[in-house]
Amino acid sequence: MDIIEAWRQGFIHMMNIFNIIIVAYFFLANGGYTVLMGFSLGSLLVYNRRLAYQGLEELRDSVVTPPVTIIMPAFNEENSIVDSLRSVMQTDYPYLEIVVVDDGSSDETLNNLIAAFGLIKMDLIYRPRLETEPIRGFYVNPDFPNLLVISKENGGKFDALNVGINGCRTPYFCTLDADCILERDALLRLMRPIKRDPLNIVASGGIVRILNGCKVKEGQVVAVELPESKIEKFQVVEYLRSFLFGRTGWDLLRGTLIVSGAFAVFHRETVIEAGGFNEQTVSEDMELIVRLHRWAQENSRRIKMQFISDPVCWTEAPADRKMLARQRRRWQLGLCQTLWKNSDMLFSRKFGRVGWLAYPFNLYVEALGAPVEFIGYLMIPLALLLGVVPPYLFLLFVVLSLAYGTFLSVGSVLMEELTYRRYPRYRDLLVLLGYAFIENIGYRQLVVWYRVQGVWRFITGFREWEAVAHKGAGD
Amino acid sequence: MGGFPVLIEQVITFVIVLLVTVVVVTVGFVAAAILRRKRRDAFFEQLDDLRQQVAPLVTGVLGRTLDYRQGVAQIKKLGEKHKPALIEQLVMEKLPPADQMPAMTQLCEDLGLVKQWQTRLGGDGQVRGMSGTLQRLFRVGYLARARSAEHLATIRHRASWPMLVKALDDPHPDVREVALRGLGSLVEPQSFAALVQRLHQVILDPDESGLAFRTVKSAVVSFPLSQAIGLEASLRHPHRRIRFLCTDVVREMVEKAAEGHPDFYLDASNFAPSLSELFLNTQTYDENPDVRARSAPVIAYMRDPRAVPVLLGLLEDPEWFVRLHTVRALAKPRFEGQLLQIAARLADPRWMVREAAVRTLLGFGDAGFSVLYDYFLGSEDRYSREQIADEWQRAGVIPTLLGHYAQQPHGRERQVLEQLAHMGKTSYLVGLLLGSSDVALRKNFLQDFGRHADRQIQSWVAWLATHETDPDVKALAQARKGEAGMGTRSR
Repeated sequence: MDIIEAWRQGFIHMMNIFNIIIVAYFFLANGGYTVLMGFSLGSLLVYNRRLAYQGLEELRDSVVTPPVTIIMPAFNEENSIVDSLRSVMQTDYPYLEIVVVDDGSSDETLNNLIAAFGLIKMDLIYRPRLETEPIRGFYVNPDFPNLLVISKENGGKFDALNVGINGCRTPYFCTLDADCILERDALLRLMRPIKRDPLNIVASGGIVRILNGCKVKEGQVVAVELPESKIEKFQVVEYLRSFLFGRTGWDLLRGTLIVSGAFAVFHRETVIEAGGFNEQTVSEDMELIVRLHRWAQENSRRIKMQFISDPVCWTEAPADRKMLARQRRRWQLGLCQTLWKNSDMLFSRKFGRVGWLAYPFNLYVEALGAPVEFIGYLMIPLALLLGVVPPYLFLLFVVLSLAYGTFLSVGSVLMEELTYRRYPRYRDLLVLLGYAFIENIGYRQLVVWYRVQGVWRFITGFREWEAVAHKGAGD
Repeated sequence: MGGFPVLIEQVITFVIVLLVTVVVVTVGFVAAAILRRKRRDAFFEQLDDLRQQVAPLVTGVLGRTLDYRQGVAQIKKLGEKHKPALIEQLVMEKLPPADQMPAMTQLCEDLGLVKQWQTRLGGDGQVRGMSGTLQRLFRVGYLARARSAEHLATIRHRASWPMLVKALDDPHPDVREVALRGLGSLVEPQSFAALVQRLHQVILDPDESGLAFRTVKSAVVSFPLSQAIGLEASLRHPHRRIRFLCTDVVREMVEKAAEGHPDFYLDASNFAPSLSELFLNTQTYDENPDVRARSAPVIAYMRDPRAVPVLLGLLEDPEWFVRLHTVRALAKPRFEGQLLQIAARLADPRWMVREAAVRTLLGFGDAGFSVLYDYFLGSEDRYSREQIADEWQRAGVIPTLLGHYAQQPHGRERQVLEQLAHMGKTSYLVGLLLGSSDVALRKNFLQDFGRHADRQIQSWVAWLATHETDPDVKALAQARKGEAGMGTRSR
């Protein structure tokens, strides 16, 4: 009997420790998000006003606007690649080149491109500055002198991006996912701070919005509408939260650790000097940003990486649970891999705000948050059953947790409403607010479960890049 | 929670307070979002209504289809009924064509907008209402200053240039940047010196100025070429970076002036003689290779007889990027006499120079082609030949080459094709042959190259042996099939 009691006491003690960890995580995460939201709200409101005198016309006409190459890596994108490329070719930018890299697709990606753009295979010189898988061929149409399609052996997205960098001749390049649709002036807007900032901006990321549900005509989004399915609508709210107050907040704190590779501009020479994209993680974009921070510190370079919220890239979000699971597992795995690889940055004085703010937040809240939250979902009811937590406190905490999640989601919808208001229908606003409320019951837990799987894959050494299939967003 | 170092009651109180706060704020957010949407919808409705009244008046006044005084009076009357900011927004939302811009400037003056913008830019005026209160509270008054500077520049209000020059010292970089842009669009000669001073400042101490070099340069190069004389002292400056970047500014100004004018020359009528002398005698020999490199494109536009020898000297510069800029600068019909010197750069140790040389020569048409053919066939330099083949493909020269070969199968083009086949540069050729309807071309090519070991040519031969519709060509293809490598006359 004594042994059983001792076991019970030990278990209760352990539960108490877990509960404290969960409560601490709750306050740390939500406190951090609240601070970010506060910063972002102010920053976005001011930034929105500053757009009134941004001088896009001058940037378009200026002789000093730097040339840019858009690099589109494509793997089995036969449904979307032609529309995406057509959309990219309409980009309003004075000195633009486009390099599409077919990463050894097994479908009709390359043939569709050849047929749509009248491409001809050519034997061109390849001068690799970054090591890559072998090239199969170069495809050019002399009538489109700014378009180059490179076909290569399959090597992963990072490798395709490196091939694109090798094939790029401009001082800046823009990475763009093959399933994305770029707004006409998005690149111009993304390049604006690069032209006007006295510091060397080596990476600049724009906002990624969800294309599902929008009406597309001739490669451009002509009507912004919410998608049909619930899972897609939840992601709209999620993206607003992630980009409008997550990235904006970190940008304001000069702690940008993530710039979405779906749409970002990089300084070519700096990226090459830092070693290009690499295969060590499945989130090559975050890994590169963290490595650029390290490179700058080690080489005493004053550089800047930033996020801006007005250049828009529309992307197709996963439309079902299977694809969502793949995407979120990969993101979480990539996050864990990147943080693990750069663990010396944690509370490192030489990395400044990145070491003291951005890295710890990403580690404790974004990476470890998922398993902590998951354990919380198991432990707190267990604690209730064992009588460790009084029922009313348990209920209060559950309600608080849901309310706080709702507060953050509603906050992001409000920020969208105060700034860009991209969903013009009144009904859409109400739907978004509604989904911000119900997001925390069911969807959030589902995503936590996928993220936990991502963490588990990291622990077990899984390294595979889980592809997400796209249906294409043609007219 | 057993063992937790605070009383359970305190925890509960804290959680309840937090919960209530969160719920209240969330409800507030929802209300704010809905209210905001309703207000914005109402605002845009009002704006649309007002636009229907203001837009025809503005169009009429600017297009002179409406009596000017009457039009201005009517707009002012509407301004009294509505918020002045709405009128400002509607007047400025659509810019008229360049010929109506003076009328637009006059209209803005008569509506009192110019005075209002000038006052705000000077920091004396205050934005009224809620917006103004918030701006003062959060110290974002620079928003109004920057926007005013933008408006003054947009309507080309030349008389405001001293205010814009003064705004270059504004405490906020946004205002400084917009003022710079504004000065760049007004191109008021008297403001040029202030811009040059800023140029020096951003070069010498970018942190202090808070401005990017690109922003200042963009404004300076907007000025007409006649203003370049204002950079003479900078071109002679002891600081090597100032000399370099100012030389580059002059280069941009020259190239901008030359844009769209193939016969553009620099002479005493458009370029100060002292500057010409400076470029020909000093910049070309500057110890800073960047200065020498940026001088070449300027000198290439000079009518002066000394220009060509100077450029030929720069073609031999020890620094590769000086040679690169010079080769690019020579891509003008007036330098047809220098084809051989340009061709010499085809053997440059730097591939970018070789590439530029091929592109420059391609720009000379038949004469350039001829030089390239000779070099391609006569040179033993594999890298140069690779570069030429690369550019021929990119520039779409291969179809022309194949066309000439079809007309004269025994001409020099045949040797060029043979060399391309030997180098394995056959993808484009074979692609063109596959799509060609010219039976004679297929036959000739099959006869000359059907035995070539190149994999792509052999695939094409095999394809012809099966799919060719012309019986003679098909028979020849069948005969050639399997004879790969026999009797090729490769180099």
